[in-house]
Amino acid sequence: MQPPTLWDWETGQKVVLASIERPENCAWVEEPTVSPDGERVAVLASLEAGGFTALVNGEPWENSFDKVWQPRFSPDGRFTAIVQRDGMWTVAVDGQPWEENFDYVWNTQFSARGDVVAACIQSGGEYGVCADGQPWENLFANGSQPTLTADGKSAALVVQTASLKPADLDAFQAGVFSVAVNGQAWDATFVNCWTPEFDAQGAHVAAQVRTTLYDYTIAVDGRIWSESYDCMWEPRFNPATGKVVAPVRAKGAWGLAQDGQIIWEPVFAQCWHQVISQDGRNIAAIVAPAFGEFTVAVNAKPWSIRFPEVTDLVIGRGGERVAALGNKENAEWRVLVDGRTWPGVWDMAWRPVIGPDGAHVAVKVEKNGRQSLLVDGRPYPREFDRLCDPVFSPDGAKLLIRAIDKGACVRIVADVAQA
Amino acid sequence: MGIQDRLIEDVGLRRGVSRLTPEKIETVVRSVMASEAGARLKAYSETCMRCGMCAKGCHFALSHPDDPSYTPAAKVAQTMGVLLKTGGRVDPGTFYGIAQLAYTECNLCKRCVHYCPIGIDTGFIMSMVRRICHKLGVTPQYIQDTAHSHSTTFNQMWVKDDEWIDTLQWQEDEARDEFPGLRIPLDKEGAEIYYSVIAPEPKFRTQLIYQAAAIFNAAGVDWTMPSQPGWDNSDMCMFTGDFEMMGRLKRRHFESA
Repeated sequence: MQPPTLWDWETGQKVVLASIERPENCAWVEEPTVSPDGERVAVLASLEAGGFTALVNGEPWENSFDKVWQPRFSPDGRFTAIVQRDGMWTVAVDGQPWEENFDYVWNTQFSARGDVVAACIQSGGEYGVCADGQPWENLFANGSQPTLTADGKSAALVVQTASLKPADLDAFQAGVFSVAVNGQAWDATFVNCWTPEFDAQGAHVAAQVRTTLYDYTIAVDGRIWSESYDCMWEPRFNPATGKVVAPVRAKGAWGLAQDGQIIWEPVFAQCWHQVISQDGRNIAAIVAPAFGEFTVAVNAKPWSIRFPEVTDLVIGRGGERVAALGNKENAEWRVLVDGRTWPGVWDMAWRPVIGPDGAHVAVKVEKNGRQSLLVDGRPYPREFDRLCDPVFSPDGAKLLIRAIDKGACVRIVADVAQA
Repeated sequence: MGIQDRLIEDVGLRRGVSRLTPEKIETVVRSVMASEAGARLKAYSETCMRCGMCAKGCHFALSHPDDPSYTPAAKVAQTMGVLLKTGGRVDPGTFYGIAQLAYTECNLCKRCVHYCPIGIDTGFIMSMVRRICHKLGVTPQYIQDTAHSHSTTFNQMWVKDDEWIDTLQWQEDEARDEFPGLRIPLDKEGAEIYYSVIAPEPKFRTQLIYQAAAIFNAAGVDWTMPSQPGWDNSDMCMFTGDFEMMGRLKRRHFESA
């Protein structure tokens, strides 16, 4: 698949596949997955003759397998799934399995461009990561929470560095967890490690750690901050400065700390899901100024609107737009942009998508079982059975709509101004 | 009779108590009272009239009809009552009994609340005692082990990420012999029902997953199960008093759905 600049951005509709119904030789087909450019639609299929395969634009893979699961398109448009033959698992990319097989494979990951495909592996009861068919040389007693650098050259995993006897409280609290990067664990071990995250260059890793049952802090490349906190959430690297920003709880309230120093005073009942603009100047987070009342704060200043729940916070590349969703007990979903609520209440809404220049915002929404889009607050004049997240063209002027409707997979390019 | 007459040996409690001093206990008790207990505990402690109505709501009391020390009011008196009276300055041996009672003679069911004429929530009081126990590192061995498991795997039985998915696929295979075409859909976006279980199901009672899948299949409903951690809806950290980890588990489960 070509990069987004070379996708077909000609305004209009194309039918990618006229029918996603089950072909005669299939016992059933599973839910469709659509490629990022909208040109391909894939389903996993159970064959009447036995075994499983994938159908991409209706065409079966050359190979079939005993089991197939976790269908995912890579950002470069290759269709991947985890496959099993003769009891052994691997990853198949466009139908071609890696040569290496493992006792189990899961959690497929991609580099930003999609040129690297990686997954968690378990082999002989040991755990690690395999990227493009190359497994780590060192495996561990357990591994979870994988993450890849943007270029896919490095992978990090929370690992268990020593076995634990059943119910051995002392051994656990002495700390046997760490983060491994490309198979090499940090020298330091902790009671717990969570949510490792690479910086923009892929040179450093930050993770939440618990150094005792009561002390939470951030470790960067295995070195902990000088401050510890009552609790905290996942760290994010500031893409411009490389500093690490994490929500922390101190004296019963939540704020934000950066490299161990408070930058948002802990005044919130909750503070999480912080996002940072590419220039590093704007930070937004979901906060609760009062118990059970959520909103978004931008640079520590909360919006005036409040909801019982706020989710799916995003920030534009330049930090000029901030959007999120509000809801009440998983119903009455609303779209929140720059401190204002868009008109309309929805049965469900999905993470807002901000255009590359920050000029436009599109959101997938659902009402009465039909899905559609809001573009800059305006309803798109057509509903669908199912939509994928909208994609803006690189210049922000066009919107790619990938939809399943009336049994067909369609690809629509619309002018944002007229959408 | 009272808790000090029925002490049992537990590795976790003994280990925790061995590290205590009266000063350390007092410091933690005062800290929790100041920052977490609030008016609710004060109101409860000042309004209980010892009427004993709560006894009829407590299965521990009902199963020990000749021993009033098992009644909720008496159990509060032997735990939080002692800590309030002394300002938390108790010896480690006394604290062993307080912890044993809080963890093994009240399971926080809160049934007694409905029998109390003024609605005193003994479960809440006991959870505050457990909170103090957690802060002091005095928790029974096996419940603490489940809390450790939760902090690591987000489930209470040390079920590893791959073991969970493999188990679902195994049960799906088994069920297909009986119900051809049955699926346990993983991570199906937009499904009507998100089905979560507790870790003993994949660990020891896999047939329960099979049976649930059979019911969903027969009912023709739109359902899914998550492939990622967050699938265990239990929370042993809430029961040990590790409220920070409790929040982490709740968040993971909520966001998984």
